[in-house]
This record gives sequence, structure tokens and C-alpha cells, in this order.
Amino acid sequence: MTTGAAAPDLRAELRRGAEALAVAPRPSQARGITSDLSVDEALLLHAAGWEPLDLVCGVAVVSVPVGVWNWGRGAISLASDAHDAAVDQASRALGAECGKVRGHGVVGVRVDVAVRTHHIDVELVGTAVRPMDGKDARGNDAAQAMPFVSDLSARDFTLLLRAGWGPVGLAFGASFVYAPRRTAGTAMKQSTQNVELTNYTEAMYSARESAMEKMQRSALAVGGQGVVEVKVTEGPMSFARHAVGFTAWGTAVRLVAKEHQFVRPEVVLPLDDAVVTFEAESLRGKGR
Amino acid sequence: MTDVAGPDDPAAVAGTDGDLPEAAVRRLESSAFSSGLTVPDFAACLEIGLEPVALVQGFCVMQWGWYGPGSGFMRGMSPYVAGPQNAGAYSETYRCPHGYVSVEHRMWGQNLEQPWVEDAWAQGYGTAYRRMIEEATDHGAHGVIGVVDRVASVADTGTTEFHFLGTAVTVEGGPPPAGGVPWSTYLAGQRLTKSIEAGFMPVAVVAALASVRIWAYCMTEYLMEGQMGWGMPGGPQLVDQVSKAHMAARQLARKHVRGQLAGDELHGARIDVVGRELSQGDEVIDCTLRGNRVRRFKDFDPVPLPRPTVRLG
Repeated sequence: MTTGAAAPDLRAELRRGAEALAVAPRPSQARGITSDLSVDEALLLHAAGWEPLDLVCGVAVVSVPVGVWNWGRGAISLASDAHDAAVDQASRALGAECGKVRGHGVVGVRVDVAVRTHHIDVELVGTAVRPMDGKDARGNDAAQAMPFVSDLSARDFTLLLRAGWGPVGLAFGASFVYAPRRTAGTAMKQSTQNVELTNYTEAMYSARESAMEKMQRSALAVGGQGVVEVKVTEGPMSFARHAVGFTAWGTAVRLVAKEHQFVRPEVVLPLDDAVVTFEAESLRGKGR
Repeated sequence: MTDVAGPDDPAAVAGTDGDLPEAAVRRLESSAFSSGLTVPDFAACLEIGLEPVALVQGFCVMQWGWYGPGSGFMRGMSPYVAGPQNAGAYSETYRCPHGYVSVEHRMWGQNLEQPWVEDAWAQGYGTAYRRMIEEATDHGAHGVIGVVDRVASVADTGTTEFHFLGTAVTVEGGPPPAGGVPWSTYLAGQRLTKSIEAGFMPVAVVAALASVRIWAYCMTEYLMEGQMGWGMPGGPQLVDQVSKAHMAARQLARKHVRGQLAGDELHGARIDVVGRELSQGDEVIDCTLRGNRVRRFKDFDPVPLPRPTVRLG
């Protein structure tokens, strides 16, 4: 990053800081700010005109009725419903915490989902932020808007705003599907073959289509036009190998500027050469 | 045999003057410095006028013993008390909607903050931290940077070891901190430099543990076992008691840490949660929150919005 401004005298800054700590602080009733942002992320947010407010969290535990994972056919809708309910409740709790500190949204949300036999646990932790001038990207009063929840890092959040887009919420989709049983004859025939188990492949495709569709639907439900930074998890459930699960989530975004702002990166050529490592084998010559 | 006590000499371990072992006194009097900083961090610190003095450490091993009646951390005779067991502690009770069913039926449930656990943890953590800071003070340090802390159980013996490690530094040409107590931070090198450049001076590393115990009542027990209790609609249900306990653990940790900030800010917070399922919905949730307490010493000077770049090569 080149600014053209004179570099600050860091030694003087440090002495200034040390002098601030050399006197006892005045008693303060101020509510201390808490944030899990790194130094870089905090500086970047400030540069973009946003400030952190508080570390906020949302947790929900939703039960999965007994027998749900037993053998069956098609989608395991009760498990999917439990997943959706847990995510929805955790997002609401997170949004409520953000609202309490008059935040405009939550960035850098860490998403932890644990699917267990009888319950699904969802934990969301992030930092509530607000624009320093109190206005959102459209110039409206930020405090009046519904807080957004985003798992984008502060860096990606800043870049997104610069491109004229804004996060509106977390988009989530999950689907659990039974892998259809093979007939006894097929199972015996395949036992000594290297073959594709089409029942699992088909179950995976089915779960994937359903989860992706749900995620896109949830993005539209919060007013988004699309989803960025989609993450997926998939595979058989550890406690029920005959069932496969597919979850997809990301940040729903919408255009807040009149049109997309093209971010044209500058091309830079670093002059520091990559380290040339010494290869002992080369001494023997290429013929060996 | 020489007069100089070697490392294996018992006399070197237990000193006679003061409470420091003789070997430690020799080490402290040495003119050589020691540091746990990486070379880039070491170079960056010298660049801004921080001079390493010594690698300082603090240890404390705590026994996590009996928490019940008769212990130093006594919680009371019954887990099902009407309200919080310590003034201001979190507590929530749940009552069975079914009435008397059987002796085994869980008619009451409670989410209960465990201040005795939190106090024991704070005592171990605080003692180890103070010992590290005392070492730094003995060296005439102004601060401790690159702090690393570790909390681990010792070989499943019911004891917990708290270990702090950091590099004591002095500020070249700077005044000592108020009261002579060195400041501390998890940061070092470039990250510390950037924080100071932005106007935030480290004050101390802060951490707190919040511990919440769930005594499940019948509805929670049914739901966590996947059963549908009487009077419950079918399908997935929010397990209200457990969800609230988890939220409470995180909020309490934040509250405890905020109590140590005295108006300053907490940067780089890290939250760690350990849940131990005991049985049929009963659970203990331990939530640790730690980070850097920093004080703003100048008005924020925003950095210019960085220019996006693509590297060639």
C-alpha cells in the first residue's frame, strides 16, 4: 500500500503511548468495546468508515426426534427441518445481540454446526459493526435497518462494499437423504467388483440439489440477489452411514449502489526474488 | 568438587536469600538478554524502540477438587435452589409441566452459573500471570510482548496447569508504566507496531472463564434423547434450556472480561467453548474468552483505503 504520506515516527508514537500508560487512568464508566477482529481487519474497517462495537454470539440447539435416521427412502425432512430451525434461531439470537448494541450488522461470523443423533447444534460468533457516520450504503439511517449477518472477513466485507454490493444475511441450506438399499442380489454381485455405488452417488446429488435450492431460497427471503463465499460440507453421517448430508452456506448479497462498481486492481511486480533453494541432489548430475 | 553449585546441585534449586533459587538469581544478573520472539518480530520491535530484556514466565498448578458441600468452593446443599447462589450470578429454573409422575421423573431443572469454578480458574490464571509480571518487574521491564498462555490438565490427575510466557521489554526513552507494573500483550512485531501506529497502546492481556451447569428437567431430557415428551408437538423442537445455557456461558465470559476493561477496548478476542455432557441433558459448559486490552492514546488516524493489487510472478 503506497500512500505518498510521510511515514510516521514509530518510536515517537511508542513513547507517546508509554506516556499515556505512565499516568493512572481516570475512572471510566464507558462500555468497553470488544472485538475478535485482527489488527489488520480493524484498521481496514476503519479505513472503510466502519467501527467495531461488540463481540456477539448466537447459539441454538434443536432436537432431532428418535428414529429419524432409521432406514427409509428419500429425503430425511425432519433432520433438514431441525437444521433450518437451529440456524434460523441462532441467526435471530445473533441479530438480537447486534441490535442491543445498535450495530448495523455482524461481520466475520464463525459458523459451527454439529449434527448429532438427537440434536443439531449451531453456534455463530462475530463482531457487531456500524458505519461511523451512522448512514448505510444508501445514505439511510443505519440504526433503522435490520442488522445483517455475514461470514465474510472484514477484508472481503470492505471489498464487497467497494464493488457497490452489501451483505444482507446468512443464506443456509441443508438436506439429508437416505441412500437407497441395494437389492440382495446386487449387493452380492457387487461384493467382488470395483464398481460405482450408484445409490450413494444418486443420494449425494439429490441432497446437493435440495440443499443448494434451499440456500438460494433463503438468500431471496432475506432480500439478497445472490450468495458469495459459498461453503459446502457433504458425506455420510458418522452415526448413520446409510444417510448422506449436504449443507451449503454463504453470505447473501445485494447491489446497494446504482450499478456494480468495477474494482480494477493494479498490477504490481514484486522485486524480491523467490528464495532459491540449494538442491543437494543436483551435485550428482542429472544422469543419476 | 568446585564451590560453584551446578544445575544438579540441590542448593541451586532452593536459594537461601529471598525466594528465588540461586540459579535464577545468577540468570537474572547475567548481562545477556533472552527472548521468545521470532527473528522478524525481534527486528520489528527493535525498529520501534522496544528492547528485549528477558524471557519471563509464570506457572501455577491448581487442584480442581471437590466442589460440593464442605469444599472451599461450596455451592450449597441442593442444586435446585430458588435463585442465584452468589449475588448477581446467573440462574434460571425450569419446572416440569406434568406434575408428580415418579421419583425418577425430573420435576425441576436449572441452569446455574458456577462462580466457584470461575473463581478457581481466575485464581490459577491470575497467579501465573502475576508471577510472569513480577519477573518482568524484577528486570525493570516496561512491558511484556508476545505473551503465550496455556491452560492444560496435568495427566488427568484433576489438576490444571497455567503457564504464561512472554518477552519482557523496555521502551527506549519512555517512562515506566504507572505503579511500575509492566503492560502486556499477546501481540509482537508487525502486528504490535500497527496497533500502536493506529493509536492503541497495550494495557494487559485479559481472560475470563464462565462456567454454566445444566441440571436438565424432564422436557430437556426428552428432547436431548430425541424423545417426544407428553404434551409436546411432534417434530424438531428448540431445546430452550440448553440453548439458553450456551448463550449465557458466552455472555457471562464477555461480561467478566468487560469488567476488567475499565473503559478500555478488547482487541483480537478469542472465544473457546468446552461442553461436557454428563447424562441425559445434564451438561457443563466452560467458555473462555481472552484478548488484548488496549487504550487509545491518540485520536484515530484512519489509514487510507488500500488499493487492490495483483502480484505478477
